[in-house]
Amino acid sequence: MKFARSMVLVSNDPESLRRGAQQVYDRFAKEIAAHGLGEEVALSQISDAGRFDTLPMVIIYPEAAAYGPVTENDVARIVEEHLYKGRLVEDLLAPVRELSGRIGWLKMRKGAMPAEKRIVLRRAGRIDPESIEDYIAEEGFAALAKALTELSPAQVIDVLEKSGLQGRGGAGFPAGRKWRFVAGTAGPKKYVVCNADESEPGTFKDRVILEGDPYAIVEALTIAAYSVGADEGFIYVRGEYQLAQHRLEHAIEQAHAYGLLGKNIMGTNFSLELHVHSGAGAYVCGEETALLESIEGKRGEPRARPPYPTTHGLWGKPTLVNNVETLANVPPILVNGAEWYRQFGTPSSPGTKTYTILGNVNFTGLIEVPMGITLREIINIYGHGMKDDATFKMAQTGGSSGSIIPASLQDTPMDFESFRKAGVSLGSGALLVCDERTCVVDLAKVLLNFFRTECCGKCTPCRVGTERSYLVFDQISKGQANLEDLDTLLKLAEQLEQVSNCGLGQTAAVPVRDTLKYFRAEVEAHIRLGVCPTGVCHLTRESAPAHSMA
Amino acid sequence: MVNLTINSKEIEVPEGTTVLRAAEKAGVFIPTLCDHPQLTPYGGCRLCIVEVKGFRVPIAACTLPASQGMVVETETPALKKSRQMILSLLFSERNHFCPFCQVSGGDCDLQNAAYREEMTSWPMQPNWTNFPVDTTHKYFILDNNRCILCRRCVRACAEMSGNFTLAIEERGAKSMIVADCNVPLGESSCISCGSCVQSCPTGALIDRQSAYLGHDESMVETRSVCTNCSVGCGIKVITRNNHVVRIEGDWDAPVNNGTLCKEGRFIPLSDDRKRITTPMVRKNGKLEPATWDVAMESVVEHLKPLAGKEHDGVAALVSTRLPVETMAAFKGLFSGGFKSDQVTSLEEGFPTATSAALAENNGAPIEGKLDMLRNADCVLVIGANLYDRHEVAGFLIKRSLPKGIQLIVIDPKENGFDDIAHYALKATTDTDVDVLRAIEAVIVKEGLGRTAAPIMDADAVLADALKKTGLAAKDILGAAHTLASAIAPVLIYGKGLTASGNSESLEVLLRLARLIGAVDSERIGVISVKGEANSLAASQLRLDKQFKMNGHKAVYVALGEGTPSKRMAERLGKAPYLVVQASYVSELTEKADVVLPGANWAEQEGHFLNLDGRLQKTNKSIEAPDGVRENTAVLADLANRVGVILSDGWKEALVERPSITALNVN
Repeated sequence: MKFARSMVLVSNDPESLRRGAQQVYDRFAKEIAAHGLGEEVALSQISDAGRFDTLPMVIIYPEAAAYGPVTENDVARIVEEHLYKGRLVEDLLAPVRELSGRIGWLKMRKGAMPAEKRIVLRRAGRIDPESIEDYIAEEGFAALAKALTELSPAQVIDVLEKSGLQGRGGAGFPAGRKWRFVAGTAGPKKYVVCNADESEPGTFKDRVILEGDPYAIVEALTIAAYSVGADEGFIYVRGEYQLAQHRLEHAIEQAHAYGLLGKNIMGTNFSLELHVHSGAGAYVCGEETALLESIEGKRGEPRARPPYPTTHGLWGKPTLVNNVETLANVPPILVNGAEWYRQFGTPSSPGTKTYTILGNVNFTGLIEVPMGITLREIINIYGHGMKDDATFKMAQTGGSSGSIIPASLQDTPMDFESFRKAGVSLGSGALLVCDERTCVVDLAKVLLNFFRTECCGKCTPCRVGTERSYLVFDQISKGQANLEDLDTLLKLAEQLEQVSNCGLGQTAAVPVRDTLKYFRAEVEAHIRLGVCPTGVCHLTRESAPAHSMA
Repeated sequence: MVNLTINSKEIEVPEGTTVLRAAEKAGVFIPTLCDHPQLTPYGGCRLCIVEVKGFRVPIAACTLPASQGMVVETETPALKKSRQMILSLLFSERNHFCPFCQVSGGDCDLQNAAYREEMTSWPMQPNWTNFPVDTTHKYFILDNNRCILCRRCVRACAEMSGNFTLAIEERGAKSMIVADCNVPLGESSCISCGSCVQSCPTGALIDRQSAYLGHDESMVETRSVCTNCSVGCGIKVITRNNHVVRIEGDWDAPVNNGTLCKEGRFIPLSDDRKRITTPMVRKNGKLEPATWDVAMESVVEHLKPLAGKEHDGVAALVSTRLPVETMAAFKGLFSGGFKSDQVTSLEEGFPTATSAALAENNGAPIEGKLDMLRNADCVLVIGANLYDRHEVAGFLIKRSLPKGIQLIVIDPKENGFDDIAHYALKATTDTDVDVLRAIEAVIVKEGLGRTAAPIMDADAVLADALKKTGLAAKDILGAAHTLASAIAPVLIYGKGLTASGNSESLEVLLRLARLIGAVDSERIGVISVKGEANSLAASQLRLDKQFKMNGHKAVYVALGEGTPSKRMAERLGKAPYLVVQASYVSELTEKADVVLPGANWAEQEGHFLNLDGRLQKTNKSIEAPDGVRENTAVLADLANRVGVILSDGWKEALVERPSITALNVN
């Protein structure tokens, strides 16, 4: 493994590839070698650099200089000027003042942040994600070796249960207990599935793990399969994550070649086959039962529960489904022990949590911090404070399906239990920070528009409820609603929460309920006064209500 | 068994029962929309939500398995409120203006559910989005504006007919029922089985022929059996004012559980053949209407002198679409009374005679039951096109395809199953038996058989068969391996295999069946689809020999409602004297000397023996037109007039002969 002084990242999302990103990448490889910089400069690819108009994009660290759009012919100049002579190529710089938050995590590779504690991200950005030797050198497959040679499946689950690891997909279900459920089922055929369909808006923690440390997922799934008695596994990767898919496939291939996957892993009589399955762009396929339907080749619609996947999963067989971040925690727990893990976080929620900070803060990006940190700390320490010194108004957690956290709750410790007590949810780990210039009606409208578009259409309350709730917020934002509509909203929210088939519908009610709970005055101002207090909504009173709900 | 409490009623149900079914059993009604007893539970509409002690939120009863000690409430105020809200959402979602809908007023599950929740209006304004109306299909219309997205039609299409034509396009509120990849229904892969229409709870799928002809309450419903082929599907004949308005599959029928095909559901209603409503006698070379008395006396006058003349008297042919009673009377009259040596069926035994002879020699049935298809993991179809005929038998195979059933089709001609089969073996014409031999040889050669292999030079047989059939060795190998590795294989054959009258093909098939374990001491995994509705009954009554005119002076044909083939019409038209008993005008009736009008399927009752030996009764759903008599009555009248005494022991006659498959005649 090498330590490079510079790192060159070439975007390789589908659009970039269409515009010739692969040629750019190849050219970089050639030019770097030609300049004799092979030992000092690392070259890699990233997916989705964030700006459409600047693709293909090339980002060079540690300067965090973003060039784009870059053509093959520009490469020689960038290598010559930037990498060799240390000068920015001003005319090729992308027209962005600062980098999109979605790649900001790399800025923090040096671990300069205060309380940051990296467990799942400890290798991301430090090792070559396409080199199994790099991974092995960094404690890779030590946990698997320990599990297979020293521990029985039951002992692995014991360690996991003692560690108190909770599912990081949003619900926070104790991982060890889930493993025990699946291990306790009878039957020769079981499956393990990694849910890597990270589709919550603004959430990209899993992508960074998958792209930066793909072997960790392969290793964790192998441990999981050993523990629950499965012999086949799937990694269901979001369709847009092409680089992640490529790296996972590569990792699986290499693991096979090293005898770490396939028949008789590490010479034991334990065998496992892993498959990478690409999603096709449906948000709802991140719901575990819809994900299973999708793997089975059906339309991605959540199943009814119970029965749960732990007993009736993939093709009706017991199936363990875990999120990427949950799985990434497993190998370090096995290597270092449950006690080690419990020293991070809070007693009820041990360990760390990754968050993507977005919105009106000075610094946006991905962090991994111990559970129990407060929102105020995250904004002030990691977000470097609110942008333009504006006042914090609210934060929205967990992509779309999280909660709205008003300023009054910003000192609540961010762990599953405290948040549950406060009536909010931690969600998947996105933190959309909003200042006083954000209109709650507008925010709720955006969120509900997302839900109504991504609703699978299976169950009535969600299909019609999300559509209706969106329409009401749309009317409020246009000044065409009346106060009774707010009652309708609450009624819709109640049914969404109570009667929907899956989590999508149940959490679609949250923005409705939270908006009216914490910011009712602001919503009513739209209706009573015909004014949007933040000036975001364009109220047009002249037209009569077209779709009055009451 | 698990015990649970529903609305304070305790009930015991088998494990795996859903709460909804348990409630039904306990006599507790739970409203539903997307549920259907014959379809996989879906849990979409959420109308059947119940409160379960210990559950955080209400849960759909249709998908919830009952568990020990569960305490369920179905009628709390909160649930009622939720149900009203769900119905309000559904009503407001699309165009559900009841007064304009053909199912309004009792036939709409959505409307009925709303009335049950004491709703007379819904509190939300409708959402004015227009969805497409698909009117391209010949038999029904799809109006997405009246759809509640319950997916009953989608599930019916997949789970009943196994056709997988209907699906959902788009997501959320934009979801819409589409055929294939959103092509007009009339141009889609739809096979017009109509299961979707029968399953639709609203007016989204309406049958063109019966739409706006009245509400169900003004209709009369008669349970009967479809007589269009030997499968013997249970039907419900919906009539009004002595007209058949609609035919539905009988959900409770053991053979088909509600499924029908186009032939059974739609085609009988668009029959445009001309009905014969009065007896006719040929006078001066022209058929002229006559009274029954005149016509019958004319027949008696010509036939009576021929009684007792075995080879030069009356030849007689009966349709296998007529009830057993009619066939038995026919046989009694012409075999017993007239002593004719030419009494047979219009099928002439092509679909059954070879099998029956083999079963007779065997002294035991050689065929099993259709039900085996439900659990089969591999099916071989030879000499039959289940896409065109005996379609419902084909549905039983098609619907299992997603479960991984392996399908092998051997048919030199184009077969509707070619596209879905794992192996569609297209051999040279008339080499079906060689294909079977080749498969057998592979299994013998590789020692894959379950039973002792016949002694043969496998390599030579294989080489010879490959040469004759012109098939690729890899296809034969693949098919052989698939068959040999199946746990519950079923072999289906049609008359294509046996029509030649040569029993060799069938013998090879049966040998192969034993070799792969399709036939053993516990099961007989071989079925033939036979011919018309009473094909097997004709075989049992020995009305199955090939027809020869010999020196017969007259021919009596009980044609029933069939239309004879051109060839048959030509052959029989040459008879010196021809009596045709039929429902519809055809080429043959045009050539007859006397035509006697008989009732059709809906107008008479009688028994039918389906392809796997199940005796079923059809019922009379409408009255025959004036001047038309039931077919058995016509024969009885004739017997009476010529002095032949008919026995009514048709059931005994039916079981006399050793049967191809075990009979269930009780």
